[in-house]
Amino acid sequence: MAESAISNGLEQSRRWSNEISGYSLLLIWLVGFFVFTLGPTLASVYLSFTDYDLARPPLWVGAENYVRILTDDPKFRDAMHVTLIYVLFSVPLKLLMALAVAMALNKGLAGLPLYRAIFYLPSLLGGSVAIAILWRQFFSTDGLVTYLMRFVGYDGPGWITTPDHALDTLIVLSVWQFGSPMIVFLAGLRQIPRDMYEAASIDGASKIRQFFKITLPLLTPVIFFNVVIQTIDALKAFTPAFIVSHGTGGPVDSTLFYTLYLYQEAFSFLRMGNASALAVILLVIIAVFTAIAFASSKLWVHYDD
Amino acid sequence: MTDSPAVASDDMAGESPKNRRVVNLVLHILLIAVSIVMLYPLLWMLASSFRTNGEILNNLSVIPESLSPRNYIAGWNALRYSFGTFAWNSLVIAVLTVVGNVMSCSITAFAFARLNFRGRNFWFAIMLGTLMMPQHAVLIPQYVMFLKMGWVDTYLPLVVPKFLAVDAFFIFLMVQFFRQIPRELDEAAVMDGCGPWRIYFKIILPLSVPVLATAAIFSFIWSWSDFFGPLVFLNDVKSYTVQLGLRSFVDATSVSDWVGLFAMSNLALLPVFFIFLFFQRMLIEGIATTGMKR
Amino acid sequence: MTKLVLDKVSKRFDAIEVIHGVSLDIDPGEFVVFVGPSGCGKSTLLRMIAGLETVTAGSVLIDDERINNVPPARRGIAMVFQSYALYPHMSVYENLAFGLRTLGAPKSEIKTKVATAAKVLQIEPLLQRKPRQLSGGQRQRVAIGRAIVRDPRIFLFDEPLSNLDAELRVQMRVEIAALHKELGTTMIYVTHDQVEAMTLADRIVVLRLGVVEQIGSPLELYNHPINKFVAGFIGSPKMNLLNIKVTGTNSDAANFDLAGTELSLPVALALGAPGITLGLRPEHVVTGNKGALSLGCVRVTHIEQLGGNAFVYGRLFDGQSMTLSLEGQQNISSGQEIPISIDPARCHVFNAEGLTVARQETWPLEHLSVNKGGSK
Repeated sequence: MAESAISNGLEQSRRWSNEISGYSLLLIWLVGFFVFTLGPTLASVYLSFTDYDLARPPLWVGAENYVRILTDDPKFRDAMHVTLIYVLFSVPLKLLMALAVAMALNKGLAGLPLYRAIFYLPSLLGGSVAIAILWRQFFSTDGLVTYLMRFVGYDGPGWITTPDHALDTLIVLSVWQFGSPMIVFLAGLRQIPRDMYEAASIDGASKIRQFFKITLPLLTPVIFFNVVIQTIDALKAFTPAFIVSHGTGGPVDSTLFYTLYLYQEAFSFLRMGNASALAVILLVIIAVFTAIAFASSKLWVHYDD
Repeated sequence: MTDSPAVASDDMAGESPKNRRVVNLVLHILLIAVSIVMLYPLLWMLASSFRTNGEILNNLSVIPESLSPRNYIAGWNALRYSFGTFAWNSLVIAVLTVVGNVMSCSITAFAFARLNFRGRNFWFAIMLGTLMMPQHAVLIPQYVMFLKMGWVDTYLPLVVPKFLAVDAFFIFLMVQFFRQIPRELDEAAVMDGCGPWRIYFKIILPLSVPVLATAAIFSFIWSWSDFFGPLVFLNDVKSYTVQLGLRSFVDATSVSDWVGLFAMSNLALLPVFFIFLFFQRMLIEGIATTGMKR
Repeated sequence: MTKLVLDKVSKRFDAIEVIHGVSLDIDPGEFVVFVGPSGCGKSTLLRMIAGLETVTAGSVLIDDERINNVPPARRGIAMVFQSYALYPHMSVYENLAFGLRTLGAPKSEIKTKVATAAKVLQIEPLLQRKPRQLSGGQRQRVAIGRAIVRDPRIFLFDEPLSNLDAELRVQMRVEIAALHKELGTTMIYVTHDQVEAMTLADRIVVLRLGVVEQIGSPLELYNHPINKFVAGFIGSPKMNLLNIKVTGTNSDAANFDLAGTELSLPVALALGAPGITLGLRPEHVVTGNKGALSLGCVRVTHIEQLGGNAFVYGRLFDGQSMTLSLEGQQNISSGQEIPISIDPARCHVFNAEGLTVARQETWPLEHLSVNKGGSK
């Protein structure tokens, strides 16, 4: 009996040795997660129930921030409106463009690597300040696009100075960066076995039918990935709006992306509590979107297992 | 993998060669048109940086008339601190970011991919969850924390988290890669007396150079192009990065000195462009693989 | 020379038990082969001995020392993996030296040991190459070399020949046997290929679904399988397993009906006992009446001529399939009906549970002359 107790004891220490190894290596991430992710997130939630301007300690105000944001905040409505329009237009346009070009490239044309590189470059540079500056010039009253349009006879609006059109320029900028999702689509297309198309051709299916019956279904995992990533990125967009509007979100809040509004509340007006509430709302929106996306994926995403 | 010789994978069966040539020609024309539209902004910006503000008002050409560097020289010292200072700041931050990311994310990915321990799947799911999280949810508390620690206006808020594996994207990328390394290698190493750290350093790491390089490159580019982070945490012009410097330049030029801005913008884009030039295969494969294995 | 004992060893993955209380003894210097179909647990058992899997219950003892909780590297064991598991980024020399370096052995000792192992396996010219520059057979040798360098008390082989082509497999088989002869170390070898088992083993352990079916020398298993499974597993082509019915019985023999033919064998079985199986090895069945026990006729469906021997496939009168292995080249064609017979001493009879109820040794020789399909 004593012997088995000892050997059981040894068994015990061996039983935890896996955990010791695992967690000692995972420690770095764990610390990072708790200190820089979980902790601050919880703190954001806490701050969202307070009034806080950095000078004085946070003052508890309950749900006041949320109530005001959701019922009595025209800027919030504008920001949501602007951001949603941006997402609803830029994501589909971008992905359609990406898919169309990917399909064209997948035909086995010569010069594929060159085309692919050319289309990818903008998405690599696109999110930066430099490009945003360029875009500002393009669409300003003495800018290139305005000039081009006048060339063609169309005395265009002052793009970025007109509330109606300022957002459009940003949507165009987003679509210009279709290269990244295009590469993902291209990789997905290449994975579809060629025999499927050949078999379908022999069976007499037209190209259009082949697209809907073969290409699209087999691309759904990749489509899903692109939709989720691009939507979340669009919801988080900041730099172009900031630079093009000089940080104002103008004209008349027509480029007031949600994150820009948040930034203003936090760092221009030092209304940290309010800004935290905005942050939490954004987090919830993204979480809900992701949850819905994943749940719905069971219905329309076709993984071959 | 993504660069295998292009095989016509769409409906080739039953198409006459003549038909195919016509279709291909049309496609080429369309693609070339799109390429021109895509590249034109960049090329025009480059050309314009050698012109004057008056000249760019009606000059659509992408070929600069002269290669006068006056805009570049003017822009370099336009602000209180030279562009060189900003570039240095950006460089230091980017390099530290790369080192931090590569080290911390690879260790974490190794733990997730190769070790078996209770709670692993739980933490892995959480890690994937952080991929989706917006930076903004942690921004304000982080700012307050760094403010109280006196880290604002230093590199630290931007760099220290990188050493603690906060960039879940790279962890994910590396986990996918590690999964392809045969487990028998780990087992042989165990039989040879290695513990997990030795397996990580002597076996996995040397075999992971491709993914580490990819992570390093993406890490550098994202850090160099990062605007929001520096905007929040760097207030003193002395510590500005290139992106912040550019934006200051925009603010400072009340009259639209576009050509000056273009010159500085080109400089800001230069490193990213060069990386693209030499490493585009790696970048493209990196993106392609993350979209694939879901 | 080391002995290994497994005492009621069990393994459970989560809720599923895959090894059920296996006990066996391996004598010093023995070459033991674990063999069985996929999923039988042979690799799991090997890995438990190696220390790559934990033991859920029971004990593993090496030289009477319980090693359940000893880390793999300190068990005095070396393993050759199925896919060799050579470190791709290291040279052959470094692959061989790695284990010793990890232990902190002095450079000179490493050098000597590597040189010795390289000599034994004749891989000296390959020492500076990388694994990707080697052929399959060469990689095999390096994998074995890595094991030799550690000077283990027990060698473990996990299906090492599965990745080689047929010709190479035969060659390596011979080399491994030679290695065992030269080193004399205890070796445990896992394979699903019963030919490898038969040719290499001193003793074979046949496993199925986590349980030991039989342990014995190759010929023991061949001649005296204790159940239908072992009988069908050992020997190629597979033993014919035919359903027969007990039609009559007396004190020292029973009559059976096999596809319309009456047989009589000296077996004690109850009349009408269900699920009786007759086991006949293809290589023991002969054409015509050369064997004392007539088995009726078989209608040939297919014949494979290999030149030195021939496999004849066919069906008995009741549709049961039958395989014969005949020597030389046969002038037999599809569709023919051929009478077959067998020496009754070579028959195996299995009961409904699959256990052997009659084996060669239990039949006294006198009975051989009696039967020609009729009852006694």
